[in-house]
Amino acid sequence: MKLAKLAGNNLRRTPARSVLTAVSVLIATATLTVVLSVDRGYSKAVERDLVEKTGVHLYITKEGCPIEAAAVIAQGGLSPLYVEENLVDKVRAIPEVAAVLPFQLFTATTKDGSRTDIFMGITEEIRTIRPDWIITNGGWFSAENSVILGSQIAQIENVAPGDKLYSEKYDKEFVVSGILAQNWGQDDGTIFLPLKTAQKMIERKGKLSAIAIKLKDISQLQNVTLKLRGDLPKEYYVLGSKELSDGILGFFSATRVIMFVMVVVAFGVSVFGILNTMLMAVMERRREMAYLKCVGAKRRDILGLVTLESLILCSAGAIAGAGIGLALMPAADHLLRGLLIAYIPAGSITDPTLPLISLSILLTVAVGVLCALYPAWKAASIVPMEVLRNE
Amino acid sequence: MNSIVKLDTVSKIYRRGREEVQAIKNVSFEIFEGDQIAICGPSGSGKTTLLNLAGCMDHPTTGTISVEGKEVGQASESVLADIRSRTVGFVFQQFFLIPTLTVLENAALPLIFSNRVVPRDQVVSLLESVGLGHRLDHLPGQLSGGEMQRVAVARALINEPRLVLADEPTGNLDSRSAASVIELFDSLHSRGIAVVIVTHNPELAARCRKVVRIEDGTIAV
Repeated sequence: MKLAKLAGNNLRRTPARSVLTAVSVLIATATLTVVLSVDRGYSKAVERDLVEKTGVHLYITKEGCPIEAAAVIAQGGLSPLYVEENLVDKVRAIPEVAAVLPFQLFTATTKDGSRTDIFMGITEEIRTIRPDWIITNGGWFSAENSVILGSQIAQIENVAPGDKLYSEKYDKEFVVSGILAQNWGQDDGTIFLPLKTAQKMIERKGKLSAIAIKLKDISQLQNVTLKLRGDLPKEYYVLGSKELSDGILGFFSATRVIMFVMVVVAFGVSVFGILNTMLMAVMERRREMAYLKCVGAKRRDILGLVTLESLILCSAGAIAGAGIGLALMPAADHLLRGLLIAYIPAGSITDPTLPLISLSILLTVAVGVLCALYPAWKAASIVPMEVLRNE
Repeated sequence: MNSIVKLDTVSKIYRRGREEVQAIKNVSFEIFEGDQIAICGPSGSGKTTLLNLAGCMDHPTTGTISVEGKEVGQASESVLADIRSRTVGFVFQQFFLIPTLTVLENAALPLIFSNRVVPRDQVVSLLESVGLGHRLDHLPGQLSGGEMQRVAVARALINEPRLVLADEPTGNLDSRSAASVIELFDSLHSRGIAVVIVTHNPELAARCRKVVRIEDGTIAV
């Protein structure tokens, strides 16, 4: 018989306690796996959306606090920040620019606050600049009151091209001209309308939320950025899509902190559970440990035995936890999509990779083994004669 | 006859809180190959302490202890563990069997720590020799007290020690089980293994070749 088998047998002696401890390890590993996957997946998805996929290389926005602006828009208000529309022609005149999309973004919240619709005023250049923006049903705006719906909002409203849609807040009736292909992103819940209509609705004629720019050659990014920064009034920002994605990831950092606090709490509970279990196991088996020393067990054997018990317990919990974390990944993806305010990327926001799962397992097991060191040291320090005489 | 363990003017003082307890006072005692010794005496007289010192389970406060001619009184814990693993086998009143291990696994337990490889057949034959050939895969909870003590004896013998130390081996047994265990110790002696038994059982003491009486930590003459 090997020490590992003896350790496994010892764990079987108090099955309920062993299972509960393993469950606490499982929860900690599952949480860590999900959080690490979301942390990595969200960053990748934002970068993929805004840097790799959109075709937008630069944005022009107005100086100010973008978080405040986002908060105002999310609550159904109008952003105090806007870009003058007359800049569009200036930008178009730059030879390195391939396409320019001026847009106006605003929201409409129902009176009871139960629903907020996102509106985006656009021009036809969106088709050039956003290759993933595809109308699958119907066509482009046919009138001033035409709208193109994201797939999700179309499903919620149960409308098809030709159907009518009413906005209570703006007391305006729209006609659906097209429905977009689902792209699992922000577009799915957005109502697109002609830019001029949008500006009229919110009484911001000649004003834009921002201007998106696509360059003919990405290698000219630095030159064009510097040129725009030099030419435009000082109150304008010229942001690369990478800077924008970094900014969005900056908003995400608060969510990230909350997620990692959850991991710390789960680990705290797990550490307490392992320490408690191993200490109890050692205290209850002091006479047996003393007897093992009588039959030749050295300090290192007892240290090894207790550490192995913790290792088995934590490995089982960690492997099961990683599996459950993987199984919960779609649910976590769905849940977080509902919580994210800054930006909801298309595609999955979780990215569980083998090294990441291995890291979760290894980290949990390492913590478990560390927790066992004190109980193991206590067990190894037993003086057999004293224990057998006094207990 | 060859000496296995020799205690020379050994004393052992314990601390119990602020109080010092002198369990053994200047005791000299030697165990030779083939000995069969009963240690008798009233409770608290120092019998178990003497047995434990002879089994290298603790260091003496004063005096020397030699095992197979080598002074080990102040040896490291690792050296003492080696002696306990290879030279001495222990049997206790409470058996100390691990409840989730089978009879066969309990008997083979000390092999984990001695790093010896003993074929399964040899463990089985040892258990057969103590009358447990039909109980190999049973758990301790399925055995009688006498059977559990016989497993403990087999476990003490698995590393082929030269000396078996037993502390009240019949103390927890009914008379019938006690009789079978006494016979078992007789057979150990007949196999050439030195046996030292701490006991209150007069029948067991009477069957030993030599009886040592302890009173107040000293050997009574």
